[in-house]
Amino acid sequence: MNATLPLRQRLRRALLLAAILGLWAPFKILWEQEIGREQDFLRYHGTVMTRQLRDDLGQGLTIGVLSGMRNVVADLIFVVNVTIAWENEEWFRMGSYINLCTVLQPRAPVFWDVGGWQLAWNASVAAAHDPRQPNELRRIKASRFWVDKGLDVYKRGIENNPNYWRLWADTGLLYQQRLKDYRNAAYYYQKASELPNAPVFYERFPAIMYEDAGDDQAAYAAWKALWLRLTPEQKEKKEHWKEKIKASIRRLEQKLSIPKEKRVFPN
Amino acid sequence: MMTSLYRITVIGRNTLTEAVRQKVLSVLLIFALVLVGSSVLVSEIAGGLDASSLFEQQIKFVKDFGCGAIGLFGFAIALLSTAQLIPQELHNRTIYTILAKPVRRSEFLLGKFFGIVLLLALCVALMSLAFAAALYWQEQLGLAAVDAADTQIPNWQQNPTLVSQYHNDVAQIYQQVRDPQLIEAILLLFMKLVMTTGIALLISTFASSSIFTIVTTFMIYLIGHMESTAREFWLARGAEMSIWQSGLVGFISLLIPDMNSFTIVDEILAGNHVPWSHALNLLGYANAYLIVLLAVSIIIFDYREL
Amino acid sequence: MTEPYFPIGKLVGIAEIGRMESSAPLFAVETTGLTKRYPLTWKRKVLVALDHLNLQIRSGEVFGLLGPNGSGKSTTLKLLLGLIVPSEGEARVFGLPPDSLDARRRVGFLPENPYFYGFLTGDETLRFYGKLCGVAGAALDRRVEELIELVGLQNGRERPLRSYSKGMLQRIGLAQALIHDPDLLFLDEPTAGVDPLGSAQIRDLILRLKKMGKTVIFSSHLLEQVQEVADRVAIFSLGKKVLEGSLESLLTERQSTQIHIAAELSTEQEAKLRQALGQAGLDSAAIQFQRPQLSLEQLYLRTVQAQSEAAAKGAPKP
Repeated sequence: MNATLPLRQRLRRALLLAAILGLWAPFKILWEQEIGREQDFLRYHGTVMTRQLRDDLGQGLTIGVLSGMRNVVADLIFVVNVTIAWENEEWFRMGSYINLCTVLQPRAPVFWDVGGWQLAWNASVAAAHDPRQPNELRRIKASRFWVDKGLDVYKRGIENNPNYWRLWADTGLLYQQRLKDYRNAAYYYQKASELPNAPVFYERFPAIMYEDAGDDQAAYAAWKALWLRLTPEQKEKKEHWKEKIKASIRRLEQKLSIPKEKRVFPN
Repeated sequence: MMTSLYRITVIGRNTLTEAVRQKVLSVLLIFALVLVGSSVLVSEIAGGLDASSLFEQQIKFVKDFGCGAIGLFGFAIALLSTAQLIPQELHNRTIYTILAKPVRRSEFLLGKFFGIVLLLALCVALMSLAFAAALYWQEQLGLAAVDAADTQIPNWQQNPTLVSQYHNDVAQIYQQVRDPQLIEAILLLFMKLVMTTGIALLISTFASSSIFTIVTTFMIYLIGHMESTAREFWLARGAEMSIWQSGLVGFISLLIPDMNSFTIVDEILAGNHVPWSHALNLLGYANAYLIVLLAVSIIIFDYREL
Repeated sequence: MTEPYFPIGKLVGIAEIGRMESSAPLFAVETTGLTKRYPLTWKRKVLVALDHLNLQIRSGEVFGLLGPNGSGKSTTLKLLLGLIVPSEGEARVFGLPPDSLDARRRVGFLPENPYFYGFLTGDETLRFYGKLCGVAGAALDRRVEELIELVGLQNGRERPLRSYSKGMLQRIGLAQALIHDPDLLFLDEPTAGVDPLGSAQIRDLILRLKKMGKTVIFSSHLLEQVQEVADRVAIFSLGKKVLEGSLESLLTERQSTQIHIAAELSTEQEAKLRQALGQAGLDSAAIQFQRPQLSLEQLYLRTVQAQSEAAAKGAPKP
């Protein structure tokens, strides 16, 4: 292009460009490393999953190429492929698409949340009523297989998004309703209730779960903790849910024969 | 200095006028169609545990598609209009008439650059308005669905749990749709487009055709998304590589901009918190990079034979 | 579209158009050994576009650059505008390096086959170039009016340039070259592709500019036109200047004399004249009587102009 320029000018230009780039390059790399460090934290919260995930992504160069549009790709897979697999009841295929979406965007809780629900409920219920499987024991086993798959998705989702209450609450719901494991349900509901944006009524769920589990001691402790947290003014104000707490405490104090002096409501 | 700025402004505004009168903005109509189409698509399909989780999905999709489309259309506008700049000026002989006036070549180039940046700002602003409208529509759909789902039980107002559920669902929809972080996301998207413009401008100062500029810029854009991987690999294991490998990966690490860091926008759209301090750091990096790109462009263009 | 008021413009004003007449150098343009070589990489050869050009053009001259395509005329103009850098030698414009802003403040340029910005109107085009030269505000308004008048583009002011004819484009090109009232004009093929009437108008314009004291350097291969306006010409061939001089010195044929009589001669009168000339000692074989013929161009111009004048006097065209 500029071959017609006198040599002296070409040399001057080359030196000037080399100087600018030579000065900028180290700054550039240091700055990018700094941004990268900040983003490692922002993207993955520095969980153990980080390295494994990055290895997964590193394998496929295509994912890197698509990275400018990674979220759109994940959305399309979720909206189109997962939905089609769901409608065709191709559960294994659906499971692998859900997995792909969560690998692409581990910090999008929706994929974990809805993906877990698809597996633990839709796939599992379908397997329980599979007309092609006459053996009931096998149907129960298959159903349980999908519940475990869904539970796994929920738990990995929680690892990546520990502050997203819905994942905790939905895991609790799964333990409660499909696995009848009320202790674990209580644990997950408890966690959910402590997170921002969670509906307040979740704070009463652990106590109810302990009652369902038959663990009156734990239930009593949970109800008591809820009551004692209230300020005197709050205790005065009559509300439906406070009455329920009160009644539960009274009932359990009777049932557990708590000595009068240790009771919350001695009378 | 002031007269120099004035000339840059005159050229920049002329560049914007050109784009507007050549009806570049009509491309944005297609953008609006894509946006509406994708919104309809996601509200048709998609399932969920309950109304609010369903709408959380749909709002995420609309945000992703909306910002994705802003990025895509902005990229096309930035790339095509920048690649055409200098070849067009040469073809119309306007560059000769302008440079025959008391105008420095750097002023010409900066004027052109800022003209494209103005154009992009205009386009991104218009697209953001359409995006906001699509989000608002999704919000209204969400509120209606929550209304329908949470209030179906008779006398639900008397049930404190249902009331609390209802208010919570409404609050969540508002929180997702009216997320102030979306401004941060759009600002970062815009900056990515300006970076693309800067790269294309640099290429076009020595390219002999606009096709060359388009292809090369596109390659740099793609490699830019892998630069962070290359850089970390090079820093960690550069010494173990062969000279050729190390040279190639090192070249990418030292010169190609890190475009992948802008995908932090995905995190914002997924509802995760990205502090402004980080966004400002990224914007600062991009601006410093732009200054280098412009300086190099000016040096090359100053010596170019027209 | 009217341009909104822009405060910086006021500060700049017309004062920015620098004048350095106090220390005016003798020559508007001076080149010494000016050479431009393009290496043809693929053919492993070097193309010499301009070969050691020495040229001196005084202020106020109208200078024609003649030569076939590719003979170095456009290269010379580009070098004088600083658009390309010489491989060897030097060019000066009013004693200044051609790529300096000071030199370009005093220079106007009309490129060959310009298209300009098709999306701007004639008015906007002039305003755009005016602002680039630092002319703004009322001074710019005045200047635009003058130039539209000068080049006769009243009917093209509000029309976008993409609807312009070739002649109109050349005229708006001339107007933009003059927007900052330069002392020196470079016109590259100003009449190429323009119809004879249009090119006659451009020729008249060059003559008017000359009367205003401007230096005009133009290239053309329409020799008749060059002859009508240029004071001096240089003829280029294969990158070299092969001939240079004033038209008078180059074209006067010393071996013949013409007598002009503004009347038709009868045969009788002609015979008497021959006799008289014979008595003056001239060989009768060297005497020829001829009726001067109009050139086709003159005939064309007369006809078309008469027609359009009649139309202007009569009912205006719809």
